[in-house]
Amino acid sequence: MWQVTPGQTLVARQWDDELVIHNSLSGATHLLGLGATILLGVLQNGPADETTLAAALQDEFALDAAEIGAELSPMLARLAKLELIQQCPCSPA
Amino acid sequence: MKPALLVEVLRDPQCASALAPRDWELLLSQARAAGLHGALPFVLADAGVQAPPAPRRHLDWLRTEALRHRDSMRNEVRLIAQALGGSAPLLLLKGAAYLMAGLPTARGRLFGDVDILVPKESLSAVERALVLHGWVTTHHDAYDQRYYREWMHELPPLEHMQRGTTIDVHHAILPETASLRPDPARLRAAAVPIAWPGTMPGQRPLFVLAPQDMVLHSALHLFWDGEFDHGLRDLFDIHRLLTAFDATPGFREALAGRARELGLERPLFYALRYCGRLFGTPAPALAAGRPNRLQLLLMDFLFERALQPDHASCAGRGTPAARFALYVRGNWLRMPPLLLARHLFHKAVISRRAPAGQDE
Amino acid sequence: MPLLASLTRAELRRRLGEGELVLRTGPFTTRIRSDIALVDEGLARLYAAHSVEDADSFADFQVNLLRSRGWRRWIRPQVLFDQGGDAPFTPLPLAQSQPMFEWVMNWCISNHAHGYLIVHAAVLEKHGRAVILPAPPGSGKSTLCAALAMRGWRLLSDELALVRCADGLLAPLVRPVSLKNASLDVIRAFAPEARFGLPVEGTIKGTIGHLAPPAASVARADEPARAAWVVFPRFEAGAATSLTPVPKARTFMRLIDNAFNYALLGQRGFEVLAQLVDDCEGSDFVYSSLDEAIALFDGLAGDAS
Repeated sequence: MWQVTPGQTLVARQWDDELVIHNSLSGATHLLGLGATILLGVLQNGPADETTLAAALQDEFALDAAEIGAELSPMLARLAKLELIQQCPCSPA
Repeated sequence: MKPALLVEVLRDPQCASALAPRDWELLLSQARAAGLHGALPFVLADAGVQAPPAPRRHLDWLRTEALRHRDSMRNEVRLIAQALGGSAPLLLLKGAAYLMAGLPTARGRLFGDVDILVPKESLSAVERALVLHGWVTTHHDAYDQRYYREWMHELPPLEHMQRGTTIDVHHAILPETASLRPDPARLRAAAVPIAWPGTMPGQRPLFVLAPQDMVLHSALHLFWDGEFDHGLRDLFDIHRLLTAFDATPGFREALAGRARELGLERPLFYALRYCGRLFGTPAPALAAGRPNRLQLLLMDFLFERALQPDHASCAGRGTPAARFALYVRGNWLRMPPLLLARHLFHKAVISRRAPAGQDE
Repeated sequence: MPLLASLTRAELRRRLGEGELVLRTGPFTTRIRSDIALVDEGLARLYAAHSVEDADSFADFQVNLLRSRGWRRWIRPQVLFDQGGDAPFTPLPLAQSQPMFEWVMNWCISNHAHGYLIVHAAVLEKHGRAVILPAPPGSGKSTLCAALAMRGWRLLSDELALVRCADGLLAPLVRPVSLKNASLDVIRAFAPEARFGLPVEGTIKGTIGHLAPPAASVARADEPARAAWVVFPRFEAGAATSLTPVPKARTFMRLIDNAFNYALLGQRGFEVLAQLVDDCEGSDFVYSSLDEAIALFDGLAGDAS
């Protein structure tokens, strides 16, 4: 289960397929591509598991489940490294 | 000696309402030299002072800077707590403590490092935890390393590789070589837990020193350390701490009692004396900790000069000599004479701080 | 307010010696104190069209440029900067006083003026629309900026783009343009009527000279401008002139790379920058010929080619 990092305020602006986003907690600004934007968008509505997140990507991109699966983990890891999201405490992925 | 304009305004912010334009310029300049430029907008706003348009926008700019500083330091404390995990309870000192405890003295207070106090036994575990999370040691000179680890009361400052922030890990509040030895275990035992801000849920417990200990630590740091770069700022801290804690009945008695218990009556005497003289802090006449008449005259002369803002408009007669005399005294109180001579010699010849070069 | 040119040299020197020279540059005033002849020479040559204010007025910044004390006063003399407190930087050779003055003026602004988003960039305006030219050192920004300023573009700044947080407009500074080495010769040839300060050799960057801002630009220093373009210039010998669009999100991130106080402004900085990027077209610009470059910019501004 994944969620947005609690306590942060995010402001963002989208132009074409790219998103710039500012995180008030870390004070950092990031450039995100479409896939990462979609994932963040889902999680802004509440915690979600990897199945839900994969489905959201599948809706947007014409890739099969295996390809989505391969993309999903690195994307989640990168978003976590930027402190935008985290794994929910005491729950399996 | 005529008090500096900055001191007059800090003592009685209302008097700023009558300042001429060039005096506003001087006030801002002195505040910056004293490290109090972040606090000034808040002090004036709290007193309802409206500055004219030209200085007012400077106060707005300073407020922006101070708020940003506050947010980054809060984040820094959060990341330190995450890094330390269970290696030691997180007990904050000085600026970081005032900030996280929401004390009035934190408002606009700019500070460089986060200072924490941990048990001596936990030092290695704490250092390991920090290094694991991206901090590296500074002061690589072997002499400096020994200076900190063996003779002082702290690890050499650790700097975070990415964020560039610094943490000072103390295990006592005075070095083991010093003439006063307040027991750090007692300070830790009396530490009070504080709540994290609402925007930072789910963190490990956070502690600060008990109010009396906070005042005593600040007094000790100011009057024993010998470095007066932020002398006025630190004295103003003590004034604001006293003002805040005086709201609790019995605080002053507890303060005096604790000073006696920890052997810190002399620094408390000086703190109350100079706070009273500069900022008008109410202080009952203290007999405890009073030095002999001659020493008091000398200390008055030295401190009143050293506590001025470090600004050309404030250099009283004898100021560089005063600072030097107090620097030596500060180190004298911290180190036995032979060690002191070796330290001063080595510091002067080898460890000269590299001057800041200009960025092109 | 009187112009600096209206002061006799003796009066200029007197005010400088006593810290009573208050110089206006756009939205800021600076109280300057100096005992160095090169400083008053530089001011007389490069700031003739700027206003000076009353000695007792409130000055935004204090710049003290004084000869170093002690034996350094006479042997390899140096200039030291302070603002009344500690000297934050190491001294420079006395001969570099004028470039140091310019550099210190920029430092004061980028360190204090947090009511603006401050970007390391040149800014010029024509027909009511402004171009921001961010560029790291060595990109040819200053040469291009000087050339445009000499060909009818209003100069707002060579080094610092000041975006007002309140309304997103660009505030002019209108200070001298700093040119290096070959650029100096290029601009002298390009604009024989241009006025320069004394060249300074042997700096970290080689020979530096300053181009005085056109008086017409200085006269409009209280007129802000609205940005329409963000152009990242790059000089490349022999290259064809080309303007390539840059996606907005990339323009945003690249502006952050060139900003001094973006992080300090926090969320407000993000909003101001986002609005700026919304309002502007971002491009990469490569050029080798100044004439072709000017023609392209004039075309952008709507001049008939």
